[in-house]
Amino acid sequence: MSTSFILRRLGYGLLLMLGVVVLNFLLIRLAPGDPAVVIAGEMGGATEEMLESIREEYGLNKPVLVQLWIYVSGVAQGNLGESFFFNQPVSKLIAQRIGPTILLVISAQLLSILIGVFLGVIAARKPNGLMSGFVTVFATIGYAVPVFWTGIMLIILFASALPIFPVEGMQSVKLRDAPFFTQAVDVAHHLVLPAFTLAIIYLAQYARLSRASMLEVLGSDYIRTARAKGASERSVLFRHALRNAALPILTVAGLQFGNLISGALLVETVFNWPGMGRLAFESILRRDYPTIMGVLFFASAMVVVANLLTDISYRWADPRLRGRS
Amino acid sequence: MSDMTDYKAESPAREAWRMFRRNVPALAGVLILGIIVLLTLYGQFFYAGDAFDVVWAPHEPPGATAEYPLGTDYLGRDIIAGLLTGGGPTLAVGAVAAAITMVIGITLGALAGFYGGWVDNLLMRITEFFQVLPALLFAMVLVTLFSPSLWTIAIAIGVVSWPQTARLTRAEFFKIKELEYVTAARAIGARNKRIIWTVILPNAMPPLIVSATLTIGVAILFEAGLSFLGLGDPNVMSWGLMIGANREYILDAWWPVTFPGLAIFFTVFAVSLIGDGLNDAFNPKLRER
Amino acid sequence: MTALLDINDLRVTFNTRYGEVTALDSVSLNVNAGETLGVVGESGCGKSITALATMGLIPSPPGRIAGGSIKLAGEELTGASDARLRALRGADIAMIFQEPMTSLNPVFTVGDQIAEAIMLHQKVSAAQAFKDAIALLDRVGIPSPAERARDYPHQLSGGMRQRVMIAMAVSCRPKVLIADEPTTALDVTVQAQIFDLLNEIQREFGAAIILITHDMGAISEMADRVAVMYAGRVIEQARADDVLDAPQHPYARGLIDCIPALGKGETELREIPGVVPPLHLLGAGCAFADRCAHKFARCESEKPLLADHGHHPAACHAVEEGRI
Repeated sequence: MSTSFILRRLGYGLLLMLGVVVLNFLLIRLAPGDPAVVIAGEMGGATEEMLESIREEYGLNKPVLVQLWIYVSGVAQGNLGESFFFNQPVSKLIAQRIGPTILLVISAQLLSILIGVFLGVIAARKPNGLMSGFVTVFATIGYAVPVFWTGIMLIILFASALPIFPVEGMQSVKLRDAPFFTQAVDVAHHLVLPAFTLAIIYLAQYARLSRASMLEVLGSDYIRTARAKGASERSVLFRHALRNAALPILTVAGLQFGNLISGALLVETVFNWPGMGRLAFESILRRDYPTIMGVLFFASAMVVVANLLTDISYRWADPRLRGRS
Repeated sequence: MSDMTDYKAESPAREAWRMFRRNVPALAGVLILGIIVLLTLYGQFFYAGDAFDVVWAPHEPPGATAEYPLGTDYLGRDIIAGLLTGGGPTLAVGAVAAAITMVIGITLGALAGFYGGWVDNLLMRITEFFQVLPALLFAMVLVTLFSPSLWTIAIAIGVVSWPQTARLTRAEFFKIKELEYVTAARAIGARNKRIIWTVILPNAMPPLIVSATLTIGVAILFEAGLSFLGLGDPNVMSWGLMIGANREYILDAWWPVTFPGLAIFFTVFAVSLIGDGLNDAFNPKLRER
Repeated sequence: MTALLDINDLRVTFNTRYGEVTALDSVSLNVNAGETLGVVGESGCGKSITALATMGLIPSPPGRIAGGSIKLAGEELTGASDARLRALRGADIAMIFQEPMTSLNPVFTVGDQIAEAIMLHQKVSAAQAFKDAIALLDRVGIPSPAERARDYPHQLSGGMRQRVMIAMAVSCRPKVLIADEPTTALDVTVQAQIFDLLNEIQREFGAAIILITHDMGAISEMADRVAVMYAGRVIEQARADDVLDAPQHPYARGLIDCIPALGKGETELREIPGVVPPLHLLGAGCAFADRCAHKFARCESEKPLLADHGHHPAACHAVEEGRI
């Protein structure tokens, strides 16, 4: 892997993030009303003194370009502003919430890829078989179910009828001081339902995609070569075919990441998962714009990082792309 | 296996229609969607009742009273009335948002794909930028900033959803602009504008029609998600709002959230069955696998 | 004595949307150790299906072996278990495919792909198999084999890739080597090199080679015996020299006429008019009748069988009745 490739992608990612910061800035100015009032939050409680200090801090009396500069350089120094509702710096609020979101999103991503690809590969063995039919129907259903509703249905099911998984929060209060391992098990236990809820939509899509991708690969000449060598059916499917069929899956996995974060926002709200999604929801209800913009910034940053990792792993997975620019 | 012998010339649209007509799941989709649309359009004439009116005791379970067969919600509002009036805004926003998505996506994708070069470069960088923003979050921000109404919601969904359409259109344009009939159109002196809209676009339509159908489904889910979060128009009943409003009480009463969820599910399910059917109809070769 | 590979009365059918069609009909072929059998015909005549059937690689469904037998050194293959066929494939019968560009897996190094073939059939360590792979690359004439073994297919030229395919195919010293149009995708100078290599390998390992081709030039260079196929049947079979010097069946004559006769003053390539009929439209008569200049009433109603009509076996009513 060439370092220059990674550096170039990294630079492009930073440029995209700069774009997000500028967009944030524009959104606040484009919103109807006095930006200072917008920033303070439309709580009705902002005193003239408070508004004045906001105008001072954001340079709202200065020319727009100077305001932009103040905002961008502030973000570059890690200053995302102050939440007037939570009465805390936005960066601190997000630092507390980003971990649970990453945990949820990555668990859901892994769950959906592993199960989805497995189902898709099995289905591709018999393109007209029972499993293929199941994958197709399941994918259509999975795509059509609103993710927040799935979560609610699971809560109804697991809260009383089958109380084996916790339906709310990320940790049991009584285990706050338990040893690390016990806490980790507790978090994993809480993670089951939210991660599964979020995974369902994408799981179905990966199953369908990998079925199609495998069918295409299984018809190719090098699969015939592998069979002609005497390779077993399992080796043909999982070694020879899957390595190739994984390439389009990887592309989609990268593109899906943004949607996954959108989905996480709803799932976190449903399951009271203490992540950025819940923070976004709470701050939007309070019209706490500095916090909303901070969440938008960090959520976009997660997508940028995910895309960067996808690009790198794609190059690793496809030798034809290595050493090329 | 070659089949020159029984080859009959048939226009692609006719052939697609013939394939679609034989596709049972797709027809089921048309039927389900048709029923839902009819119910949301005309249901209120047969079943009088305002979705916001408190008509009965709260949390009356389904089947308990003959007057309100699906029961009442946490305030004692009739669920059926909610389902019938709540579908309209959901479907309307879904359709308008999908239309906005397609207009933005096709325009930018067509320009990028047709002109290539720096135009393509610039437009694709913009597209990538929009793909970096998590769509639902961005839509939430837009709706909140510009105060929620059915129009702002539809526009917000359109503004965050177009990148995929743009990419698809661009890819199709790249493919089609190299074909002979485009060269022929150029040779007889057709202007770029004419080539884009009357020569290439019609030929790029099949995948775009499929994509438009699926976009309606996504937009409906989007609208439902926003309303569920309480970001919809508070004065308009919608399926998402019904779920959101009753969310706190799910452990006491399952029905006020279950039925609107099923309504959303069946709508999107029907739309995607139709989309899949169109896809199969436009690509008969893929089907034979 | 029975031949090393003995295909007898083989019948392969495919389920298509036109119903069940017969892709191979009473095909009988055999080949001995150290011998090269050429199988010629246009695309769609059943050459490749014959090869896949022998390998046990007919895609099923929709295809199946509907009758006949394939015997390798006396062992019946048509009813053999999947496991037995897997053990034979790559070890006792190996195959080289037409498209070296697409027949190698793009995500593994060529060394790994050859080593895999070795490890599937021999109890050796991965490191040893890779060493053997390098030795094989050296044997098939690839320069700096140790470096090339770590290359991916896309880094090699077409000719190189076909050499890799050959190295893979001969890695377990197969008794029968099937080469399906091994040089079609390559340019002419490389073609000659590949044929030389196949000849060398045959001399060294004593393998029986089935060379599938549509190129009579390749037949004259490589084959000891020839079977000419048309629409799923063998229509002429004899020693290569006999077929080349005195083709019997009008189709075989046509194929020989198509060889560009260098230096004879011919200015254009000749070809047989018409195309192979779709298999589902084959009628009761001779499949070649529509394209044949010697057609008469009997050709429309009765399938000619492969039989000796004086010179060597051919399946043609006109030859049988002495009309040509």
